[in-house]
Amino acid sequence: MIRFWIKRVQKGTLTENKAVDEALEALKKELKSTIGKKFAGSLSIRMADSGSCNACEAECNALSNPYYDLERLGIHFVASPRHADVMLLSGVMTFNMTPHVKDAYEQIPAPKWVITLGDCPMMQAPFEPSFAIKAPAEEHFKVTHHIAGCPPEPKAIIEGFLEFLRKI
Amino acid sequence: MRLIARYAKEKQDYFELITVFDTQTEKQRITKEHPHTDSIATQYPSALWFERKIHDDFGIVFDGSFDNRSLVHQESFPPNVHPMRKSFTQKTLDFAPYKAYKYEEIRGDGVFCVSVGPIHAGIIEPGHFHFSQAGEDMLHQEVRHFYKYRGIEKMCEGKTLFEAKAIIERISGNESIAYQIAWRDIAVRATAIELPLPLRKYHALLLELERVVHHLTDLGFIANDGGFGAALAWGSKLAEDVRRKLKQLTSHRFGFGAITFAKPFLDTAELQSWSEQLEKEVLFFEEWISDIPSVWDRFDTTGILTRKKCLKYGVVGVMARASGMAYDTRAEPFYVEHGFEIVTQTSGDVAARFKLRFAEVKNSLKMIRSLMEESPCALTTPISTVQDGEYEAFVESSLGELYMAVEIVDGVIERFFVRDPSFINWQVLHTMMPGNIIADFPLINKSCDLSYAGNDL
Repeated sequence: MIRFWIKRVQKGTLTENKAVDEALEALKKELKSTIGKKFAGSLSIRMADSGSCNACEAECNALSNPYYDLERLGIHFVASPRHADVMLLSGVMTFNMTPHVKDAYEQIPAPKWVITLGDCPMMQAPFEPSFAIKAPAEEHFKVTHHIAGCPPEPKAIIEGFLEFLRKI
Repeated sequence: MRLIARYAKEKQDYFELITVFDTQTEKQRITKEHPHTDSIATQYPSALWFERKIHDDFGIVFDGSFDNRSLVHQESFPPNVHPMRKSFTQKTLDFAPYKAYKYEEIRGDGVFCVSVGPIHAGIIEPGHFHFSQAGEDMLHQEVRHFYKYRGIEKMCEGKTLFEAKAIIERISGNESIAYQIAWRDIAVRATAIELPLPLRKYHALLLELERVVHHLTDLGFIANDGGFGAALAWGSKLAEDVRRKLKQLTSHRFGFGAITFAKPFLDTAELQSWSEQLEKEVLFFEEWISDIPSVWDRFDTTGILTRKKCLKYGVVGVMARASGMAYDTRAEPFYVEHGFEIVTQTSGDVAARFKLRFAEVKNSLKMIRSLMEESPCALTTPISTVQDGEYEAFVESSLGELYMAVEIVDGVIERFFVRDPSFINWQVLHTMMPGNIIADFPLINKSCDLSYAGNDL
């Protein structure tokens, strides 16, 4: 264990800073202050997958890795829609998943917003309209913001959150 | 015999039921007037989901089956609709009145049920788990999936192989390269082209990179589910490093669109030192976590999958190898020449699967160094027209053996079938639960890390 702490000290902080990516750093500062103002310090997100390929989920998980460390900006993914401000929706809204996603949305206390993640909920991915697909998401919810990409990279997701915060 | 897949096709005036075993493939005709046949689920328990799916897809009834519930079609799916029939061409379906699903439940004094999902607390895919509990002890669990059912098989029909590729590579994001390689093998056979060795090596290299990302992510998450969060920081840091390397090589973090018939220039010196550096980090990670007794207290003897059940269900991939089954699609001359060594563990518990992933990461890094080649390469002959016929492919994805079968008629896909390794492995999951407490379920589930998207299609 002692060797772990030695390694830990040697490694220092991995989270990408100005030296690595100035743009990201500027973005993070702006994000932090906007969240502070509009959401009393923290923005809570309920992620709902309505039939994605799991790449969007993998990128959202990557947001918690030491390089991005999303939580220090005051944005967290929460376990229940009842704790959430925003529903982050990925996937093509499958026939089987649509009722459950709508249920989850109902459980979010107002005021609430929907952000769509990735090309699927907008039907911009290569998937075609089919009997098993109920996308686009706009037919079911008022979508405030869309984060494009297949899948959007972690940095694009953070930028997407900022754009969303500018909108509301 | 090991059951690999069971699926149906619609022909002009009959249904064809195809059962793929490791040693033979059986084909059976079923009349459209009386679509009945015998179930093999008693002998091959993992045939059950295949048969329930075939019933939903085509309306074929399996006599003697002990479970005739719908699988893919859920509570609000219109009854008597069989979308895989050629006569079904609707692009939209309306919700039918809700019809409750009858779960497998154990009843008795003090026994209660716990429903989990489809939406879970973390950032993971949707699926439902239904537990019968006696206090903390799990008596039984039913896995119920297909919430992500996108109708991929039907969607691919009527498209050329090349048109369908963008869809196939997005079936399961974590296994995109494996799916693309299965597609490539089918395309190579259907167009009778000779795949140059450097190209094959490059594709295999990407497949191993994908495996490394997947295993490293899991190594972090499994330990995290065992209550050791620091490992997640390390695992996800290393996984991100590999993801970025994948992006550098293929311009996509998941390698979507990476498998083509041209190989770019590869900076082998840089890749060599990068992989050696990564291996050092992995070794450090392994040594460090091997020394944390509280983690191993959670891992050891938790969620045991017995060798007997592996054989019975025909389990594939990491789960099979962790239970002592030396089975891997890569056990063939090409991969063995490039450093592939099969790794197995015998205890079949979470600890076995955890250790196996470390061993496989190290083997994959060794293979990557053996597979890299500097100069670019492309097909010398142009891709000729696609020959009609039936083609199949096997690939070892990061989860296990992936099986894909495509029938081409008049140059377009007549039937697209794929069986994700998860489709078999999900069915054996319930046998690992009795004797464990419900709090260990996330740990057991994560140690298998099966795909929902690839399973549901």
